[in-house]
Amino acid sequence: MTFTRFLERLLQLIPVLLGVSVIVFVMMALTPGDPVQIMIGDQIVTPEQEAQMRRDLGLDRPVVERFFVFLGNALQFDFGQSFYHRRPVSEVILERLPATIELTVVAMLIALFTAIPLGVLAAVRKNSIFDRIATVGGLLGVSLPGFWFGILLLMLFAVHLNLLPVAGRINYGISQGITPYTHFLLIDTLLNGRFDAFRNALAHIILPAITLGLPMTAILMRVTRTAMLEVLRADYVTFAQAKGLSRQRILWRHALKNALIPTVSVAAIETGSLLGGNMIIETVFGWPGLGRLVVESIFVRNYPLVQAAVLLYAVIYVMLNFFADILYTILNPRVKL
Amino acid sequence: MKVIHRTIVASAIALCMAPAVQAQELVVGFTRDADTLDPANHRNRETETIIRNIYDGILTRSSDMQIHPEIAESYTQVSPTVYDFTIRSGITFHDGSSLTVEDVKFTLDRVILEGGMGDGQTSPRGSLLGPVESVEIVDDSTIRITLSEPWPLLPAMLPHQQIVSQAHVEEVGSAGMATQAMGAGPFRLADWRRGDSVILERFDDYYGGATGIPEAGPACVERVIFQVIPESASRVAALLSGDVHIINELPPHSMNQVENSPNAQVMTVNGTRSFFLAMNNEGDIFDDVRVRQAVAHAIDRDLIIDRILGGTATKIDGIMSPDAFGKNPDLPEYEFNPERSRELLAEAGYPDGISVTLDTEGALRDTAEAIASLLTNAGITTQVQVGEGTLLTQKWRTQGGEKEGDMYLTSWGNSTLDPFDIFVPTHRTNDRGNSAGYSNPELDALLDEAGAELDRERRGELYQQAEALVNAEVPYVYLWVPQDIYGVSTRLSNWSPSPDSRINLHRACLD
Repeated sequence: MTFTRFLERLLQLIPVLLGVSVIVFVMMALTPGDPVQIMIGDQIVTPEQEAQMRRDLGLDRPVVERFFVFLGNALQFDFGQSFYHRRPVSEVILERLPATIELTVVAMLIALFTAIPLGVLAAVRKNSIFDRIATVGGLLGVSLPGFWFGILLLMLFAVHLNLLPVAGRINYGISQGITPYTHFLLIDTLLNGRFDAFRNALAHIILPAITLGLPMTAILMRVTRTAMLEVLRADYVTFAQAKGLSRQRILWRHALKNALIPTVSVAAIETGSLLGGNMIIETVFGWPGLGRLVVESIFVRNYPLVQAAVLLYAVIYVMLNFFADILYTILNPRVKL
Repeated sequence: MKVIHRTIVASAIALCMAPAVQAQELVVGFTRDADTLDPANHRNRETETIIRNIYDGILTRSSDMQIHPEIAESYTQVSPTVYDFTIRSGITFHDGSSLTVEDVKFTLDRVILEGGMGDGQTSPRGSLLGPVESVEIVDDSTIRITLSEPWPLLPAMLPHQQIVSQAHVEEVGSAGMATQAMGAGPFRLADWRRGDSVILERFDDYYGGATGIPEAGPACVERVIFQVIPESASRVAALLSGDVHIINELPPHSMNQVENSPNAQVMTVNGTRSFFLAMNNEGDIFDDVRVRQAVAHAIDRDLIIDRILGGTATKIDGIMSPDAFGKNPDLPEYEFNPERSRELLAEAGYPDGISVTLDTEGALRDTAEAIASLLTNAGITTQVQVGEGTLLTQKWRTQGGEKEGDMYLTSWGNSTLDPFDIFVPTHRTNDRGNSAGYSNPELDALLDEAGAELDRERRGELYQQAEALVNAEVPYVYLWVPQDIYGVSTRLSNWSPSPDSRINLHRACLD
């Protein structure tokens, strides 16, 4: 892929993102009733505060002008004030972002490191008991509702076995004296050389990450299995066998490399859908991340925050898709962008 | 000598066997995080619940909703519009500085004055102090609060204001107050992990809080954590696993699970929100008291409480909670009797029944459907219309404006448990919560008289009379007060839930 093609592809993102921002903007403009009144709800505010909210939301200006102001501000990551937090929306979002990223990355890692070996094994032992169990398990993994599976895990590991905690990121007592270099607790605890705290943070993240990563694990496993089956039938694999290469070497060095191409691009796209899953999982496990913030904000009709978060999600999703495409062409040079 | 020797050995063994000393940590599994830690800058119950453990008020309430002086030593009502508060001496803030009358005046001014929070910001809690006009320092232990009109609610509303340190606010500013809490309450802020938890540590120099409530002194537990767990099934799991010791909003369907667990129990308390069915008294159908009575007789409240609310609500025959001040305990009940409903309808000229609509918001849909089917059975064919909360409020709380619609299922909160902020707004002619559009000059006169009455006992009697009057006229069908349900660890002692949903942990202990 040439650099110009890359740039062209990058430029194609602009209309997509523009479209997304129009939708996000229209969502608020089309809400029935007066958004300020709806946001205030039962709370009592002074007329000045109400006027200020109207100004903050730009409701005193024509719709088209409002859109461009919104867009201009959004480009500078300025989404106005969060009425409920009485702080800028961007500040509230940034504060919650590390927890969500950490959870998403751990979920993704769990998914990758279980799905790929399982998928390969299922393909190699096609139609064996293991394959069947993996297929049924995969189907369950995709179809089990996250909130239900999460609560099941909680009842087992937290209540009955009393091994893991229910909510939060780390125990207060153990977390004292840790310098937050990155705001990712698993990394910060290690950088501080605090293995006790690392273990505690790991114990907190393990259940939500498994729950969040389950559908992705299931999908990746099936993709890997299918791709692997196809590759194993390819001529070059037969040739490698004829050459007398060991089975292990053929599987993990030659076959997997090619079988991973679809897996990697699906993984990138699925990482985007993890963001959606976050809203439910973070609520179930009391995880202080962005997903839960969005859910809470929807309930209290905190429009500026919901707008900003939806836009952020959309941007991340679009970017992940973009990277998936790029990655695909790098891994598979036959495909042109 | 031998005895001493033995004692030493025994003590040494005992010491070795003593469990490792751990900070006594009480964890509350809480539905949501605080919006801010600034007592003057929010309108949210949960936020206040957390703040109340860090800051103390001039007055406070015990869990039976009695009002007690806290930072004040005593108070007197000098005239219908003037109250004097004697402030205790020897109270210190968490930073060691002394709490003075200047701090009290500063706190209240910050709330009531236009732009009182600085930077042009006005406190959203000002309206909680209604007609408070001014706060003056009389001498170095007395504060005088002057009202612009008589307002018997003042003592009941003062617990909603928490005293801040003037020096601290001036140092950190209103923006800093959102996170840098520093009060004179039983716990000081150790850390606030937004969205995750608020961590409080015992303030060892605490003066002891309200004298009217026993067990004064520093708090029993060393650390309190409000751990945010929004999902109720997860809160229950956290309670059962022993991770947390108190959970709020225990769902009724989990009560058995908690009761059956060896390490937890259920605690309930009547809440402060009354549910009722408003009938459009200005409309052509419900202007007839017989039709309104027909509706009252058609609704089987016991059935709905049992089947839909899991048995966790208390029936009411007037707008007020059974625990409220001025509640008339002898109100006649409109018992469930659909036959009587049909008779009343026929008397009113509707032998074939009537056809009406019932407005409600999504959260009450199940209840509304149940009411509609009961009404339909009694000849009042009812269709439920679910609408958006604020739009319904605009439609029904018209304050005298023209009203459309037949019936509206809604509720009104009353955290003071005083008739003044539930009975008056929902029943006085054209008042802000009068969704029925009810108007009765005799009642208005009674409510006005009660509002200005200084003698508490007499005031209570007036409200009781008013309730009897309204009960006969049924502008609304009064339904129930839902209970607040808590799950509590069996290790916890000295704590009970409070109708205003405050969780004050000053006196709570863990074994």
